[in-house]
Amino acid sequence: MISPLHIISIALGVAFALGFTKKLKSDIAGGIMLAAVGMLTFISAQWALAFYSGGQEVTQIYTAGFKPPFSINLQIGRAEAFIILMINFIGLLGGLYLFKTLVKQGRNAIAVYLILLMGLNVIVLTQDVFNLFVFLEVQSIATAGLIVLEKKNNSVSSGFKYMIATGIIAGFLLLGIVFGYYFSGSLNMQDFFTANMTATKGGAVAVFLILSAILLELKPFPANGWALDVYQSVKPGLSAMLSAASATAVLFVLAKIAPMGNAQSYHLFMILGVVTFVGSNLLGIKQKNAQRLLGYSSVGQIGLIVAIIGMSPMLGEKTTFIAITILLSHYLAKAGLFWLAGIIKAENIKDWSLLRKKPFLLVLFGTFVFTLIGFPPFPSFFGKWELIMQLSAGGQNIWIIAILAGSFFEGVYLFKWLGYAIKLDIPTHSENSKEEKNGILSSIDFKIELHKIIPVAIVGILTYLFGYYSSTFVEGGENMFKFFIPLFFLAVIFFLDFLPNRVLTAIAIIGMSYYGYSFLPALYETDLMRFIFGAIFIVGGILTLIAGFAYDGKRKGFHSAALIMFAGLGGIIQAETMLEFFFSWELMTLGSYILIIRGKRSMPHGYSYMLFSVGGAYLILAGFGFAFAQNGISLEAIKGLTVNAHLIYTILAIGFMTKTASLGLHIWLPGAHGEAESDVSPMVSAILLKAGVFGLVILFLAMGAEATTYESIFYVLGWLGAITALVGNVAASLQEDAKKLLAYSSIGQLGYILFGFAIMTQLGWLSGFTYSINHFLFKAVLFLTMGAVVLRVGTHKMYEMGGLIKKMPFAFIAVLIGIITLAGIPPLSGFAGKWLFYNAIIAKGWYFQGTVVFLAGTIAFLYCYRIIHSVFLGQLKDNHRNVKEISVWFIIPIYILIIGIMVFSAKPDLILQPIGDYITTYFPSNALKWTGTMASTDLGYWDGNWIMMIIGIMFALIFLWLYLLNRKATKVKQFNIVYSTERPFRPETTHVSYNMFAGYNKAMGLLVAPFITGFWNNVSEFVKGIADYTRKIYNGNGQTYALHIIMYMVVMYLMIFD
Amino acid sequence: MKYFNIETIAIGTGFLLILLGIWAILTQKNLIKIVIGFSIFDVGLHTVLVSIAYIKERTAPILDEAVSPADAIKKIVDPVPQALVLTAIVIGLGVTALMLAYVLKMHKEKGTLEIRNFNDLKW
Repeated sequence: MISPLHIISIALGVAFALGFTKKLKSDIAGGIMLAAVGMLTFISAQWALAFYSGGQEVTQIYTAGFKPPFSINLQIGRAEAFIILMINFIGLLGGLYLFKTLVKQGRNAIAVYLILLMGLNVIVLTQDVFNLFVFLEVQSIATAGLIVLEKKNNSVSSGFKYMIATGIIAGFLLLGIVFGYYFSGSLNMQDFFTANMTATKGGAVAVFLILSAILLELKPFPANGWALDVYQSVKPGLSAMLSAASATAVLFVLAKIAPMGNAQSYHLFMILGVVTFVGSNLLGIKQKNAQRLLGYSSVGQIGLIVAIIGMSPMLGEKTTFIAITILLSHYLAKAGLFWLAGIIKAENIKDWSLLRKKPFLLVLFGTFVFTLIGFPPFPSFFGKWELIMQLSAGGQNIWIIAILAGSFFEGVYLFKWLGYAIKLDIPTHSENSKEEKNGILSSIDFKIELHKIIPVAIVGILTYLFGYYSSTFVEGGENMFKFFIPLFFLAVIFFLDFLPNRVLTAIAIIGMSYYGYSFLPALYETDLMRFIFGAIFIVGGILTLIAGFAYDGKRKGFHSAALIMFAGLGGIIQAETMLEFFFSWELMTLGSYILIIRGKRSMPHGYSYMLFSVGGAYLILAGFGFAFAQNGISLEAIKGLTVNAHLIYTILAIGFMTKTASLGLHIWLPGAHGEAESDVSPMVSAILLKAGVFGLVILFLAMGAEATTYESIFYVLGWLGAITALVGNVAASLQEDAKKLLAYSSIGQLGYILFGFAIMTQLGWLSGFTYSINHFLFKAVLFLTMGAVVLRVGTHKMYEMGGLIKKMPFAFIAVLIGIITLAGIPPLSGFAGKWLFYNAIIAKGWYFQGTVVFLAGTIAFLYCYRIIHSVFLGQLKDNHRNVKEISVWFIIPIYILIIGIMVFSAKPDLILQPIGDYITTYFPSNALKWTGTMASTDLGYWDGNWIMMIIGIMFALIFLWLYLLNRKATKVKQFNIVYSTERPFRPETTHVSYNMFAGYNKAMGLLVAPFITGFWNNVSEFVKGIADYTRKIYNGNGQTYALHIIMYMVVMYLMIFD
Repeated sequence: MKYFNIETIAIGTGFLLILLGIWAILTQKNLIKIVIGFSIFDVGLHTVLVSIAYIKERTAPILDEAVSPADAIKKIVDPVPQALVLTAIVIGLGVTALMLAYVLKMHKEKGTLEIRNFNDLKW
């Protein structure tokens, strides 16, 4: 094994040697540097491997022939080996990335780069406090040296600010060290720990100076303006080193010297770390400059890790896992993001749409964004999960809220940025004319340089590998492997993305079928409720995928995104622990976000979907955490809570309702579903919404069916469901856009479902299930059909359509059957739902709510009528003379679903009877009796089969009669109309289809006034306002930043000693 | 007269210099004066370091005719901070030089030494 001393000797030796070789070409010097850094990486890797495989003892390396305290000693243990490996590895990749820059700047820059790495290695290894000071100074000077070699604007002045800040911090550190020596009689860290310095006031001041100096090196909010300027102004390759390597080293130092302090200092780290995490992410919201934004994010993430170090007495042995996963995610993602910033050279985050020119860079960008926020399957997901669980077990609720709030703020700006990259127009020459004048075409196009791409790709791949690896360490994640299997399949699909759409669709369908086959049949026997939802997810998924065959050519990213979503949906069905559930839940969110944002005008809607989803997910996470503290990791833990049960159940319910789009949390839905692609709308509407329903179902079951303890919660949810139904339906009636109409109708339908389940009786639940199945069937039919129609006619506006019945008879019949089911008209299954519903309402005695729901049901007729009338009846529009029937690839799934509707209508007992039996275990009072196809309650009876036949006969008779009458009718040509000799300005506005329900709008429009949208807009403006106001403290003046640092120390001093 | 001994005066002067240096760093508008402020701050730190090591009526930790290795332990002041000061002075020199290099470049860039002209990056 090579001694880590050689890390110093190699780096220092090569750096000095380069100084003496004036004739050496600088690219050879660069090669030598890379070889040297490679050696450093090799040495550290060797040690890390030895510790990993076990048997390796912690090793002390003594210098100068004496033992401490008379000499400096280095210590290499498991943690040190791992951290220096991280530093040297990123140093190697960073060196490769910066290769051309360093070579251009010459041998001096190359030498300084080596010195920087050496400094970082030593501060990790050293056990001597003064040596720590020296090498902290070495790395500061090396950093400043690299900055001063930059040719970019402003980098020099920001480097000067950096020097002022680090100079003051180093001064305080030195003072602390000398006083520490005075009180402990040694410079060795171990002696500092054992001297118990905090017992005396003088010793306590020494410890305070040392700890606060190291903390200030980590850029705590708000004393971090100097760091933000540096992150923004220097070359991204250097920012990456600062954010990934330097921060990692100093964080380790903080963890290493923390035992000097006492319980109070740990507490202080926790407070200041969380304040940094929340504050920095909040201020990032208004930021437009990519590198500065990454700076804010870096500061925030480092603050989170400081907080975790501070929480270590509380987190116990889990600290290492939590800290390492979050650190590793930050380290990989931030390096990758800064490097990307250097590749595309777009300063404004709006210009990052340039990434789309190289889609694999966009994928890497997305990977890093999701890694930072902590989505599965990345390491930070598991770290954050474990953090919340442990904090909850320790009763630290306030910190859970703060950390989730900080994460949410981070999501606010990162998802905005990701949305820009995915959707905004790629900037062109003319838009950037100002920069063209300066001869800089950089933000218009970018070159692909292999030595810059390779490091980014490597860290990108590592995020996935470490993600899987982390999962094996978490409680409740022992059996996670099966949740990763779909992801391996996905990886294959992802690399086949160059194939034509139809081939990939076929592969995806085969994969989905196998996935469903692998768990659904077994579920039928064991858990019927899960089987039904699983069947909706998987069978529905396959059917909607079939529609994808209609698209020619390639559909980049579509299949991967859809399969991520379905893998998540399948996962929440199979999950046995809360971790597995949440993992799958987040996977589903990730996939559906990418699907939704694919629509042409979907950027803002995908964004608001994501924000509501992330907010909801954090509520679920918090709720799971509280449940974990009481009952352990199993998904059953949410049952039988004893402490704060009302609060926890409410939190979980709100979390799940972000996905069911209940009133107040619904504003993302109309845009997200309405603007999505034709085959995506049914996926996210008919299928995805049921995930929220599934969440509510398991939650309600956990709350206990017969218990009256939570009556108040269900009462509120019942009203919420009823009002959601009403508002959703009124809003649907007033839409001009066919897909938005269907989207609002989903809100209404989901209101019914919530209402049905909230009744909490057997009949209520049966109606809830019936509505869920119905909504899946008819909403898939309607969205698929209307989507296919939109693909043909090229508009969403209903008044621009009309008379399509003759062109698209199959579509017409499908929509007709869909709306009959929707409206609950006999004989189709919608009626079964309504019948059960009103039985349940009357039995429960919720008459007022029942009235609201009944009114909503009537209003549903308005939009049902409208969609059939405006689109299919009346005169054909002139420009639609040549449209054809909808694509056969849509017709196939639509008619399969219609068969489903027919079977469910004629033989409802096939499904409802087993469900009734299933829920009898929860609701023993069996209110519904089945005799054959006839269902009866105390209030009456209903036989789906008979109704079907009677109505069928009546329908046939009337149809025949109309057909006979129709033969005598005179045919009117389309332009056989007179407008009183005038031609209207916009002819379509004279059509009855335009603003069809204007009268109702006057009467009920108040109900759908967008005050909820207004409310959320105000919330968002308020938060942005705070962020914008607060960030003015960073006024750009180095002296102000120095003042911040000194004030920060004073405040800390007062917090400790007062 | 208890407080008017050499170590109290030295350490008091040291802290005074530290405060003076910080005052200069925070208030001076000229970049060169800020760098001078840093130098004063450093000198203050070094003075404090040395005065902490001082033990009454002892001599510098240099072994020569006056101090033989045998009785060094009774005659010299604590040598460790003295050694540290040497290192700290060297680092301070490096920092000052680098800062002056920065000032030079900043002056080249904008032709001014006023710190308020270098506020381009903010928020």
